[in-house]
Amino acid sequence: MSFKQRFDNWIFNSFTVSAEGLALFRIFASLFILLFLIPGMGMGHFGFLASLPNHFYAPSPGPLRIFDGFPPLVFFQLVHTILVISLFAMLAGYFTKWASLITGISILILQGFIYSIGKVNHEIVVPLVPIIMAFSNWGYAYSVDSMRKKKTRNPESWPLTLLALFVAFMMFTAGFPKILGGWLDPSTQAAQGHLFNQFFIRERQALLAGWAVGFNNVVFWEMLDWLTILFEIGFIAALFKASWFRLFVGFAVVFHFSTMMTLNIAFLPNFLAYAVFLNWENVYSAIRSQYVRFSGITGIKSGKRAVILFSGLVLLIFLPLKWLSSRNITLSQTDLMFHEFVLVTAAFVFVLFIGVKKW
Amino acid sequence: MNRKAVRTLFICALIYLPLQYAIVGIVGYYDAEPWPAFVFPGFKSVHVYDDGFEIKRTVIDVETLHRQRSLDMSPQEFFPEIPLSQIPGFIRTHFSGDEAVQQISDEGRAWLHIRATEIAGFSPNTMHIIELTEYYRQTEEGTVLDMALETGRISLQF
Repeated sequence: MSFKQRFDNWIFNSFTVSAEGLALFRIFASLFILLFLIPGMGMGHFGFLASLPNHFYAPSPGPLRIFDGFPPLVFFQLVHTILVISLFAMLAGYFTKWASLITGISILILQGFIYSIGKVNHEIVVPLVPIIMAFSNWGYAYSVDSMRKKKTRNPESWPLTLLALFVAFMMFTAGFPKILGGWLDPSTQAAQGHLFNQFFIRERQALLAGWAVGFNNVVFWEMLDWLTILFEIGFIAALFKASWFRLFVGFAVVFHFSTMMTLNIAFLPNFLAYAVFLNWENVYSAIRSQYVRFSGITGIKSGKRAVILFSGLVLLIFLPLKWLSSRNITLSQTDLMFHEFVLVTAAFVFVLFIGVKKW
Repeated sequence: MNRKAVRTLFICALIYLPLQYAIVGIVGYYDAEPWPAFVFPGFKSVHVYDDGFEIKRTVIDVETLHRQRSLDMSPQEFFPEIPLSQIPGFIRTHFSGDEAVQQISDEGRAWLHIRATEIAGFSPNTMHIIELTEYYRQTEEGTVLDMALETGRISLQF
């Protein structure tokens, strides 16, 4: 096989997608962003930014430097409204490609201004997922577009490979500075140092943080430093095979669960990107076969109803979670939100379940 | 997109990703981390000194003339609207170094004064941004604070 053929094979055949699986992920991603990943902490946060004197406008080098200060609240309200409308359109699969692109761009605009107080949070995967997935034609099935008999293109799997490339590279950028910073030096236990920083300075003291602070085993902490770097750098190697990449996504879920338990940091935005690599076709088949088993209805109708059932189930979980979180139900001694704790724990349990099943 | 266009897109991404990472490193060194950029946080620091851990803490202190009334608070108490994950970066950008603080505009000072008055419950004349370096040591009884040193103090007159 020539290099070109192998390159093509990697781009176009690494991952397999189906119209139904992509539809399910589109619905999941739309609801996940809508309820948990819209940038900022609501209109109060945008109001605060809009009220800040221009002196505190400190955008990073980049396009936001063309502005002199934060925009007025009405601008934030307008972009937020556009984002919510485009998310609903993405959910319904109405002009799906455009809705996905507008969703990504609106998130980028909001993130850009939020980070212009002088600190960038690394949440670029949130806009990246809808922008890249727009080209997968994830609105092909179970969408308004498909009902309008609008000519839509077939589902494409290469966007998943492209997203895998971005995630793997970004993971590498998390691991590489640690090597330069001295994480591999046996005389430093860097993960333990970060734990102390989060525990004593940022007062993130919930879950297992207190236990971890008292756990003083040099070998354990040093091993954690090495494993962290191996895992983050290793993502690049995992790009060569879809099954390896999925394994590393599983490691990532375990990694984030452990950092949540000890450092009280959830990294929830990353889970949107990890969810892309779940085998959504299997999820669709499982829900459909259960529906057929209980209702006895088969054919096209069962597929449609399976998707409605899935959407209902997601809403049934997400809505109360969102409501509970908005009631300021946080764990004590931390800024970790209730929904972050539940969702990351659920992802961890799910990965464990798949791992045990595959064993 | 046809196959040729997709192949070109991948080649561009494979060239662009390392290139932008190099730019992030260079621009970040001389100015600040660019945005948007396809990077995750590095958490490079190891927070280690000798056989213990060294952690920096910022305290905001507001006081009236001759310190008749004063109040110490954490940056997150002074700026509760800012997410905790952004607080250290916000403080580093706007309140690190005497020059940066003295350059705060009149509008910025007035805004800080109003905020300090609302939080403290009195009208302060001065705001101090104090940097403490805390040294932790592990003992058989657990992790203990060895010592805390004031390693920086910048004052802003209202």
